[in-house]
Amino acid sequence: MLSVKGLKAKVGDKDILKGLDLEVGPGEVHAIMGPNGSGKSTFAHVLSGREGYEVTAGSVDFNGQDLLGLEPEERAQLGLFLAFQYPVELPGVNNTYFLKSAVNAIRKARGDDELDAVSFLRLMKERLKVLHLNDSLLKRPVNFGFSGGEKKRNEIFQMAMLEPKLAILDETDSGLDIDALRIVAAGVNALRGPERSMLVVTHYQRLLDYIKPDYVHVLAQGRIIRSGGKELALELEEKGYSWITDGEAA
Amino acid sequence: MSAAALTTRPPDPALLAWLGQAGEPPTSADEPAWLAELRHDAAARAPDQGMPTQKSEGWRYTGLSALIEQGFKPQQKPISALQSEDLDKALIDGLETYRLVMVNGQFEPRLSQLDGLPTGVHIGGLAELIAQDPDRLAGQLGQIAGAGQHLFTSLNTANFADGLVMLLDEQVQLDRPVELLHLSIGLDEPSVAQPRHLVVLAAGAQAELIERYLSFDQAPYCNNAVVEIRLAERAQLHHYRLQQESPSAYHLSGLYLEQAAASRYRGINIGLGATWSRTDLVTRFLAEQADCGLQGLYLAGDRQLIDYHMDVQHQVPHCSSRENFKGILHGKGRAVFDGRVYVARDAQHTDAAMSNRNLILSPNAEVDTKPQLEIYADDVKCSHGTTVGQLEPEMLFYLRSRGISAPLAQRMLCLGFAGEIIDALGPEPLREQVTEAVGQRLEQSPL
Repeated sequence: MLSVKGLKAKVGDKDILKGLDLEVGPGEVHAIMGPNGSGKSTFAHVLSGREGYEVTAGSVDFNGQDLLGLEPEERAQLGLFLAFQYPVELPGVNNTYFLKSAVNAIRKARGDDELDAVSFLRLMKERLKVLHLNDSLLKRPVNFGFSGGEKKRNEIFQMAMLEPKLAILDETDSGLDIDALRIVAAGVNALRGPERSMLVVTHYQRLLDYIKPDYVHVLAQGRIIRSGGKELALELEEKGYSWITDGEAA
Repeated sequence: MSAAALTTRPPDPALLAWLGQAGEPPTSADEPAWLAELRHDAAARAPDQGMPTQKSEGWRYTGLSALIEQGFKPQQKPISALQSEDLDKALIDGLETYRLVMVNGQFEPRLSQLDGLPTGVHIGGLAELIAQDPDRLAGQLGQIAGAGQHLFTSLNTANFADGLVMLLDEQVQLDRPVELLHLSIGLDEPSVAQPRHLVVLAAGAQAELIERYLSFDQAPYCNNAVVEIRLAERAQLHHYRLQQESPSAYHLSGLYLEQAAASRYRGINIGLGATWSRTDLVTRFLAEQADCGLQGLYLAGDRQLIDYHMDVQHQVPHCSSRENFKGILHGKGRAVFDGRVYVARDAQHTDAAMSNRNLILSPNAEVDTKPQLEIYADDVKCSHGTTVGQLEPEMLFYLRSRGISAPLAQRMLCLGFAGEIIDALGPEPLREQVTEAVGQRLEQSPL
């Protein structure tokens, strides 16, 4: 599904990713953990095709496609989804209209018919129900004036509508209180499936109490320095990142 | 001023052409003396006002050479080529209105729909009323605009042939909007139409007026329209102005507004068309608690200049005014915003705010924006703000990360930006039409 080999990337003159390897199989949930500045968010952004990052070496294969040569919209059309750490406010752009444009752009790229207004509304209502969201978010401009929790829920709702093959959750727990965290995590769990892989990027263990990963990787200084099962996350929580990163430096 | 003034100073040849060969207004035996005098004074004033040059502040960014080179001439005879099938193309689906249609500046009763007007309402052609009952116009027509902001108002006053007259008695409320539809078709000779409209709402009357400008072909022509509006105490007018003329058209329009106590005016100006356009919005408050809102959206691309000038005069206390204009510039488009608000010494407790925000989508586009607040009173609440910016890369990336192509993402953000103004258009079919027109323009035009 996703195969990252020797990925190096820099921002300006600064090397951030220094040879990152990662294999994600279908339906697997991988957590990428690491201290601040380890390159977690850069990795998420490079995968999604955000501008401002220069890939200097390595490859990213996504279901047989060279991801790095594609525009952001082409990656999304192939089934990649990034849940933003800081969802962007789009004043004046209605949330429903935005979702419909996105769903139909992706359907069109896959050779499916575009959904008409009625089918789209039906799909939207169904997904709202699964995520236990109310529809007041839909009438407002995208993320505009949303609370932190509403923004994150809206990200998960978009994910539910777009049905990605690989979802990258970038620090989805940041800025959420425990209740909001539970709601968001429940939404994510509802979307788990054998055909949907997830990459959960997080600094803290607490999100992983609710979203149980199959694998945990520790990212430090631009590389994955340790991989393991979910017990690795608990160990990190207990001992802190220095437990691993100091060992690495020595 | 006398007729001699015309001969003492050789008028500009272009100006002479607009006035007609003799430089004299077309007087008609049917017209009352006060109207003949009005026209005569305007014709005499025109040469003194002169053809503006780019040295004058109000025209610094808006050159007139292209307009003059076209050699527009006043149109001689009415056009009867348009049929009701043609009209269908100009109508907006689902929009129920009382409709007055002007074709090349002449009222066309065959295409108009004024049946079922309630009592206390007069809506009809100006020429007709001049011929039948000119007293109803005395003291109104020409009195609100006066000498006007510049030469072009005087040229209109000297030459107008026809237009809309809309008179509402006290407390009358219209059940449907009034639609004033200007249709233009090209003639062998490039011509100028000078429609003149008068809207008077008596105390407590309420109405919605939709003023639209459309072209039927790509031939060059010019519209030089003047609208005079007088709102008595507590009268309310919602006024939607849609300029969607062809890319070869020249458009001049002057709106002169006079507001009595506690009256309320909401004007939404949509400027999408014409190769060259200049609009002047002039407001004068006569008494306290009057409230004027001027909003606008302009979209200028290649070979297009769109100029909005405002002059809001706070001469009396306790009135409020809002100016909120947004612009989108693409290709080599150019726009001018000049929003002047004047607050006289006696106009205490004035509440005035002005905003002009622009999105520039191309490095070759240009906007010249000039908010001006002139305040002589010391207890007022006034603010202004101007921005010129580009689409946020963050926003574009967010949309593209959801599978939306870059061009569609741009259009969605532009429509989101414009939405605030479009949403102020009352009737939903009108909002849909403008949204679609803006979307189409952005889709077809190079950014």
